[in-house]
Amino acid sequence: MGEMTQGVPVLEARGITKHFGGVTALDDVDLELRQGEILAIVGDNGAGKSTLIKAITGAMSRDGGTVFFDGQEVQVETPSDAKDIGIETVYQDLALVNELSITKNIFLGREIRRDDFLGHWFGALDFRRMENEVRDLFQRLDIRITDIYRDAQAFSGGQRQAVALSKTVMFGKRVAILDEPTAALGVRERKAAMKMVTSLKEFGLSVIMITHNMDHVLNYCDRVQIMRLGRRIAVRDVSEVDGDSLVGLITGAIDANEVRA
Amino acid sequence: MTDTTQIAPHSGQWDTVIHQFKQTGQVLAALVLIYGIFFVLSPPFRSIDTFLSIFTQASILAVLASGTTVVLISGGLDLSVGSIFAVVGVVVGILLVEWQVPVIVAIIAGLATGAFCGALNGFVQVTTKVPAFIVTLGGLTAYKGVAELLGSGRDLSRFPESYQMLGSGYVMPISIMFGAALLIGLFLTRTQLGNHAYAIGGNEEVARLSGVNVARSRIKYYMIGGLMAGLAAILEVSKLNFAQSSRGQSYELFAIAAVVIGGTSLFGGRGGVGKTIIGMLIIQTIYVGLAYLGVGTSIQRIAIGLIIILAVWWDVWQRGTR
Repeated sequence: MGEMTQGVPVLEARGITKHFGGVTALDDVDLELRQGEILAIVGDNGAGKSTLIKAITGAMSRDGGTVFFDGQEVQVETPSDAKDIGIETVYQDLALVNELSITKNIFLGREIRRDDFLGHWFGALDFRRMENEVRDLFQRLDIRITDIYRDAQAFSGGQRQAVALSKTVMFGKRVAILDEPTAALGVRERKAAMKMVTSLKEFGLSVIMITHNMDHVLNYCDRVQIMRLGRRIAVRDVSEVDGDSLVGLITGAIDANEVRA
Repeated sequence: MTDTTQIAPHSGQWDTVIHQFKQTGQVLAALVLIYGIFFVLSPPFRSIDTFLSIFTQASILAVLASGTTVVLISGGLDLSVGSIFAVVGVVVGILLVEWQVPVIVAIIAGLATGAFCGALNGFVQVTTKVPAFIVTLGGLTAYKGVAELLGSGRDLSRFPESYQMLGSGYVMPISIMFGAALLIGLFLTRTQLGNHAYAIGGNEEVARLSGVNVARSRIKYYMIGGLMAGLAAILEVSKLNFAQSSRGQSYELFAIAAVVIGGTSLFGGRGGVGKTIIGMLIIQTIYVGLAYLGVGTSIQRIAIGLIIILAVWWDVWQRGTR
């Protein structure tokens, strides 16, 4: 990545700490996301990857640590706080409500109300506007789902993931955080999902992506943060690593002398 | 595999509408079938009076059940609405007979009492995180006690003419039933809070992560449940022309039965109020029909019990084969 991206990180977390009872799930973890990059977070199960993003995005309370957005300290205590500053997160297995239509899923929590007394007094929804916005969005992202009235349950894993990712473009003005976006997908669907993740950059988003897939790290990401047992072990430019060295860092077979950026 | 790109825009909307009608249509078909069976078996059952009395008898419990529908769709449960019903009945009775307030004031106060009792259930549930079953089981007993305390030693009867009109005859109770169902239906399908009921009932965690204030919404759903229990009580007190703390007993079970027979999921996320109204009409048709056939109340109860199990089994079976 060029020198232009070396400015103030768009999202930065310092000293994030989280305990579950006597267990330290996150031990003083830092994270920097640069403008316009895709940052991978890798690590074994239990390394604290999901906990880290949940603690940063207000999905889970944290016991210590500070979050900065564009260099300014921000208070992120609830998922809404994160959304308000332009951070959109796709949590693993928790992206869509099966019982709601595609349109209602995309707008869940941020529905557009009618611009009349019914909307102001009773919270009546403007379905026509929401549907139009979803169609526009799908057209821009080349998502070929036209029956946006149907329950999310009716769609394939790949389609559901496309819908979940599309939310980040609709609402995530600055940052998209994705927890294993390809975990539940077949081989062909994975490729389509990763193409979409890459395209998020074109929409001005900086991306954090948790993944177990080393190919995805090497082929699609700019930098990679390696975690082990609740700690950040190393941060590398993807150009500096290969599959073997990544696996070595994850398992501890290779010693990360220093955390480089 | 269906190619979604082949479907013309907006046809999906009709898909959904047709799908919903299909589901409601099944329950409606069951109602017509059951009505038809009694129609064939019992000549006196065939009168228009009987037909209308099924609706009037269903109306009070249907109003109550429309509130229960909201609570169940949101993944909640309120076992105390029968006792809230009793509290509201006594409160309205005292206001009309002893305080002699204007009828409209008594009605508003009754609705407010019901809404408050429901909201209190919701508040206790979301703050203590004790399961709704337990909280509202406590509420069932506690509100019953409140109704007894307020109602004991009081003769709450002989209400003003204008109040008696509400629940008597065919027209008022039936219109109030359909009016209440229409409002609840619009609430569930057209408003933000109503849509969140499906979201929370479907997957509470996704709703929370999407920025929905789950606790606050839940309290409101319980409040609506209490409000509709209040409206039902106002209707019954008017119809019977007396109020008593013993009224409303096991009404919550009839309400839940109607919701379930209608096809709303007990586990939340799916359902609708129209189905509940049909479910309550099915229950009443069976009661009235069996009575016309000379079947005793004990057998009637057994029949309703079997219908409840049958309805849920049908639902489970359909889900399995879809």
